[in-house]
Amino acid sequence: MNNLVFGKYIPIDSPMHRLDPRAKLIGLFLMIAAVFVPKSWWVFLVIAILLTIALASAKIGIRMIVQSFKPMLMMMLFLLIINSLTVKTGEPLFAIGTFTIYHDAIFNTLFVIVRLLLMISITTLLTATTNPLDLTLGIEWLLKPLEVIHFPSHEVAMMVSIALRFIPTIIEETIRIMNAQKSRGVDFENGKLSQKIAAILSLIVPLFSVAFERAYELADAMEARGYVPGAKRTRYHVLKFKFTDYLFIFICGLVLAFSIASRSFL
Amino acid sequence: MSLIEIKDVYYAYNEQNKAIDGVSFDIKQGDYVTIIGHNGSGKSTLAKLIAGLLPVKSGSITVGGLEVNEDNIAAIRTRLGIVFQNPDNQFIGSTVKDDIAFGLENRQIPSEQMEGIIREYSEKVGLSDYLEYEPQNLSGGQKQRVAIAGILAMKPDILIFDEATSMLDPKGKKEIKKLMYDLAAGDDITIISITHDIEEVLQSDDCVVLNKGKLFMHDKPEKVFADAEKLRKIDLDVPFVEQIREAFAKRKIKLKNDDLKGMVEQLCRYRSNH
Amino acid sequence: MPISFKSLSYIYNKGMPYAHKALDDINLDIKEGVITAIIGETGSGKSTLVEHLNALLLPDEGSLEILDYNIVAGQKQKFLKPLRKDVGLVFQFSEYQLFEETVLKDVAFGPLNFGVFPDEALKMAAEALKLVNIDESYFDVSPLELSGGQKRRVAIAGIIACDPKIIVLDEPTAGLDPHGSKEIIDLFISLNKRLHKTIIIVSHDNEMVYNYCDETVVLSHGKIRYHGSTFELFSNKELLKEYNLLEPQIVTFRNLLQDNGFKLSDEARTLDSITEEIGRQLK
Repeated sequence: MNNLVFGKYIPIDSPMHRLDPRAKLIGLFLMIAAVFVPKSWWVFLVIAILLTIALASAKIGIRMIVQSFKPMLMMMLFLLIINSLTVKTGEPLFAIGTFTIYHDAIFNTLFVIVRLLLMISITTLLTATTNPLDLTLGIEWLLKPLEVIHFPSHEVAMMVSIALRFIPTIIEETIRIMNAQKSRGVDFENGKLSQKIAAILSLIVPLFSVAFERAYELADAMEARGYVPGAKRTRYHVLKFKFTDYLFIFICGLVLAFSIASRSFL
Repeated sequence: MSLIEIKDVYYAYNEQNKAIDGVSFDIKQGDYVTIIGHNGSGKSTLAKLIAGLLPVKSGSITVGGLEVNEDNIAAIRTRLGIVFQNPDNQFIGSTVKDDIAFGLENRQIPSEQMEGIIREYSEKVGLSDYLEYEPQNLSGGQKQRVAIAGILAMKPDILIFDEATSMLDPKGKKEIKKLMYDLAAGDDITIISITHDIEEVLQSDDCVVLNKGKLFMHDKPEKVFADAEKLRKIDLDVPFVEQIREAFAKRKIKLKNDDLKGMVEQLCRYRSNH
Repeated sequence: MPISFKSLSYIYNKGMPYAHKALDDINLDIKEGVITAIIGETGSGKSTLVEHLNALLLPDEGSLEILDYNIVAGQKQKFLKPLRKDVGLVFQFSEYQLFEETVLKDVAFGPLNFGVFPDEALKMAAEALKLVNIDESYFDVSPLELSGGQKRRVAIAGIIACDPKIIVLDEPTAGLDPHGSKEIIDLFISLNKRLHKTIIIVSHDNEMVYNYCDETVVLSHGKIRYHGSTFELFSNKELLKEYNLLEPQIVTFRNLLQDNGFKLSDEARTLDSITEEIGRQLK
């Protein structure tokens, strides 16, 4: 589970880490839009250069980015094969036996793939440089306007941050229960379907009953410390936009503008 | 008038058995009260009733003259904090400082003031170097100290410890008990501690023994422990000195109740007299 | 020797910058038919050591002989199931492993996994439950409806039902009240004395270790500091100080008596035998 790179926070200090999570979230949306709009490779080049600078300033290595692409590789290969078989426009490039591969099949697919890779890199930049709790605060702020239609943005943020807090605890518990059942002869890897079902039940049932117990106790602890759902609270973490945050959003906005404009002149 | 008055309280989780069955007693301001009894005797239920986490089925509990009910609970909670048994299940924030801040946020303390309060109370429990730590990197004893800091930061004058040391290793137990004794030493804080720890009970001013939801005894700890037979009948441990007294009594050597050193001194005197 | 660690080391996060040697060159022989305690501070490597006994962890260096099985670092293990049947591991807060609809079925789960036929497994489960003092009227009840102490005993029955030769218990009395603890202690003593099982107990409770365990292993920072008679360890003030161990109450009493000129033999280890000897001197 530790090999999963996508979405993982890297707890170091960098200019990107110091940006306000809201600025980074807005930037993410602007940049993803900027990646979707253009028709020209030149725009991708500009975005890629800016992204490289941002990644470098966040001290994120090439290796981590490449690793974050891994889960998508199969999909991309699949896309390339399907497109090669179906797209018949543009110059014929070469032939495999009697089958001709056309220019558009290759280049259009590459275009989509590059677009995907850029999107993944942008998202990785956000998650790697933003503490999950700050990210939750940022999302809560973005959802705030929805409170007009009674969307409980604060409660949702509280739920997400508690879930994040308990992930390591639950992983630990899963390992402990798995070990206990292994000692009772459960084989989690091999066996017939019926044995596999029993194995999974022997893990899931205790895991759920512990989780419920935790939930009740946590609810008591929260209530005892004066938490009332929906009541007004002050916040320890107060997000404050700084000059660099505005600058960051401005640059991202500029990229989107350039990307939109590029459709008419490039 | 006593600070906490419990009058003829009943509570049941289901119809078959009453968890708390007609319990009445008072707790004086500034006292350190321990509640003992075997598991299932109703100790934790009683703590939850006092803290207003469960509603009484009949009878009444008053805290500082206010009856514990839905209307008063917010006011009562401003002066009452509770530390639970499981260190993991009361750690709400994602780091030490966030967890201490949780109660302050609920109290709507202005955010500019929080940093100072967090520093003050983390220092009080000896965790000022751990503010950025996440719960999975803390020991059980440290997590309980965070819980205590989070509660002290809200300046309560009543603290309830619900088996707060029972899941800790000896080092953690020692740390938490030391903190509890320090808090109890002042006049202003009232402590109610649910425990199995005889050593802790002997430190307290008053001891309440529950059995099957009923008040079994309520007296000074020495008096409670003086009746070993009665304690054994309800599956409770007997202090070591009391065991010594009994063992010698069986051999017709009569000793008075005392601490370990006093017991040995009595034996020395007995030796020189014979 | 049923269990023999030979220069065994185990490293968490091997090859990573934060690698951590949890067990460091462990050489340890545990005697058959004896109750051995493993003590040490949190993080000293007790749990890591115990997980090796059931091949939940495999050594990075050295080897481990358990009964007829030989586990060598770097070799693939083929006999996991028979090993796990012969070494029963009762985890901390073992009540959390209960999951079947009824108490009897849950206890029979282990034997079934180890290939026992269903009828026979239920019979073994019923016997194990009798051994841990769970009344027949509870057999068809959901384990979730039991009290904490009962759940713990049912979980232990789930291990006993597999008929292991060695039983390892990690903090078996943690979180129980004095009465519940006493029931568990009586249980492992009867398993040892009546059924001659080799028992290993991991514990922080020095009182229990002193009163009921024949031998004690002291672990600290992944190394073995002491292995020998429990009495010799706890009656030696220098050793207690060196290993930072709390003195059991009876030892404190014994020492106080001796300091005041009372004569006590090495056999006077329990409160009863101490009062007996003192009583004779006072007559």
